[in-house]
Amino acid sequence: MDTIEYLMNGFGTALIWYNLLFAFVGVLIGTAVGVLPGIGPMSGVALLIPVTATITGGLPPEQAATSAIILLAGVYYGAMYGGSTTSILLNTPGESSSVVTTLDGYQMAKKGRAGSALSIAAIGSFVGGVVTIIAMVLLAEPLSNIALKFGPAEYFSLMLLGLAAVSGLAGKSVTKALMMTICGLLLGTIGIDNVSGIARFTFDVPWLYQGIEFLTIAVGLFALGEVFKTILEKDEEEEDIAKINNLLPSKEEFKESVGPIARGSILGFFIGILPGAGATLASFFSYLTEKRISKTPEKFGTGTIAGVAAPETANNAASGGAMIPLLTLGIPGSGTTAILMGALMMYNVQPGPLLFDDHPDVAWGLIASMFIGNIMLLVLNLPLVKVFAKIILTPKKYLIPIIIAISIFGVYAVQVSTYDLLLLLACGVLGYFLSKNDYPIAPLVLGLVLGPMIENNMRRALTITDGDYSIFFTRPLSLTFLIITVLWLLVPVFMKMKGKKVIINVEG
Amino acid sequence: MDIKFDRFAAVLFLAVGLLCVIGSRGIASSSYGSVVGPDIFPLILGILLMLLAIRLFYETFQASGSTEKKEKLQYKPFLIIFIASLLYILTLETVGYVITTFLFLFVCFQTMERSKWVTSFIISAGFSCFIYYLFVNVLKGTLPGWPIWFS
Repeated sequence: MDTIEYLMNGFGTALIWYNLLFAFVGVLIGTAVGVLPGIGPMSGVALLIPVTATITGGLPPEQAATSAIILLAGVYYGAMYGGSTTSILLNTPGESSSVVTTLDGYQMAKKGRAGSALSIAAIGSFVGGVVTIIAMVLLAEPLSNIALKFGPAEYFSLMLLGLAAVSGLAGKSVTKALMMTICGLLLGTIGIDNVSGIARFTFDVPWLYQGIEFLTIAVGLFALGEVFKTILEKDEEEEDIAKINNLLPSKEEFKESVGPIARGSILGFFIGILPGAGATLASFFSYLTEKRISKTPEKFGTGTIAGVAAPETANNAASGGAMIPLLTLGIPGSGTTAILMGALMMYNVQPGPLLFDDHPDVAWGLIASMFIGNIMLLVLNLPLVKVFAKIILTPKKYLIPIIIAISIFGVYAVQVSTYDLLLLLACGVLGYFLSKNDYPIAPLVLGLVLGPMIENNMRRALTITDGDYSIFFTRPLSLTFLIITVLWLLVPVFMKMKGKKVIINVEG
Repeated sequence: MDIKFDRFAAVLFLAVGLLCVIGSRGIASSSYGSVVGPDIFPLILGILLMLLAIRLFYETFQASGSTEKKEKLQYKPFLIIFIASLLYILTLETVGYVITTFLFLFVCFQTMERSKWVTSFIISAGFSCFIYYLFVNVLKGTLPGWPIWFS
């Protein structure tokens, strides 16, 4: 049993004291990020990359990468826990994947059942998280073995599929999403070409030779963009926080939520694996499924526990599921995983099928730490949920400028360049205007991260065939990926023509 | 959806795509015996971007007039904070981290809400000194600490 042995080694890595600390800090910050409306998991993770990079600076490279990714992944799934808190107590989702939870969660809180809603949400999240980790352990080896057989043509097509999937689901307009993807890919071409060593689009500016730094763009577009949005669209209304009475749900509530949690975990996991479909979509789907199979669908929306359990389980399961294509194939399926991938690449760790062979410490350490992190979150969230609910009272007056200061500090600490800071500020303004006008940002970052890899694989494939493009269509796997890509982009268009509503995924 | 913005963006993206196509023609078209050079990828992307921009421009004519209500935007605090950030960035290397961060935070705190300047003062001073100490003394990083004419 190779897998078990690897997993045990992973636990060995994850249980080193500083990695435990990193996981703890990660999930703690993650919960806070989830609770605070305005900072989603994407900007939270982006903001913390430079901070973790400086903290892990003293460790040897591989351990630094492990510790950093443990912390950043902790932020990611921690945010899924935190998001439910404000949905239930305030009727304002802390992040987009908890939007559905408000429907029933807030109603429950109004009826004085906030405590049981919160604890079921935490338990559901825990179960969802653990189920996906187990699935991840089982799937990691076989999937990466398949991926090892891919040639450059297959990789190219697969990455195109990933990009198309994310763009197809990313926003209101597919055209805009695709434009953002292309812009990301174009930004990725700036700098010295890896293969030939020729400078492209640098205009003889030395600063551009090493390419546009992904970190600067991500922090600027996500974190600063959202901060500027909060400043510009300041709303004065103060809402009352619902009181939390008893934390333990009753036996009936437990019984009612077992089914939704079980279904939510499985549904969420499979939706999470799909590129493009993230936690938000998973929570929507599981809520709709529960409503459809329920004997009393009219109860949904009036404060039924199943309406809280299902989406909260599913969004956590999906965030774990989204890690699978990232770790095994090296293809991020969402904005947040794209940022995680960028972070790994900053440490010279290339996610993909070779990850499990080349850096077993990183891969299995991360998986083991996700398990530990989920236990920490359960322990943190059940008794301390009242404390976390207070985070929302942090005055924006102090929060907003400090986020700007941390962004600037973080980018400067890693890049040590004023040009990068100027780019950061420009990206912040750009990020605000783009997302305000429905230009999704996640595809841009995804394009920026994947761009060089897509290009390399394309050129390798074309070099093999001496410039013959038919290689992408004659290899069966590659052709399959390309067909799915085209279908993914065209099917929603046809569905819209027929007047059907297409659910879109808005993450971050 | 703001149609004006979309039209403007479509034209802008069209220009970017065009520039990319023109720019990529200046890049060598082959490298070391491979017929596929560094120019192919940007060239394809540029063409795609142009096509998409045209499609977006076409879409703006199809879209029905938006009836979205105008929300009031807080331009004044945004501009102050933006300019403060810009000055902060530009003076960071010469005046040093501690002083610039302190001033930046203090100005922003007071812009967000004009009250309790003592608390603002303490938080901004505490934050800048704490980060500097943590980064330079504990983590051994490099930050321009104090004005260059000091040291």
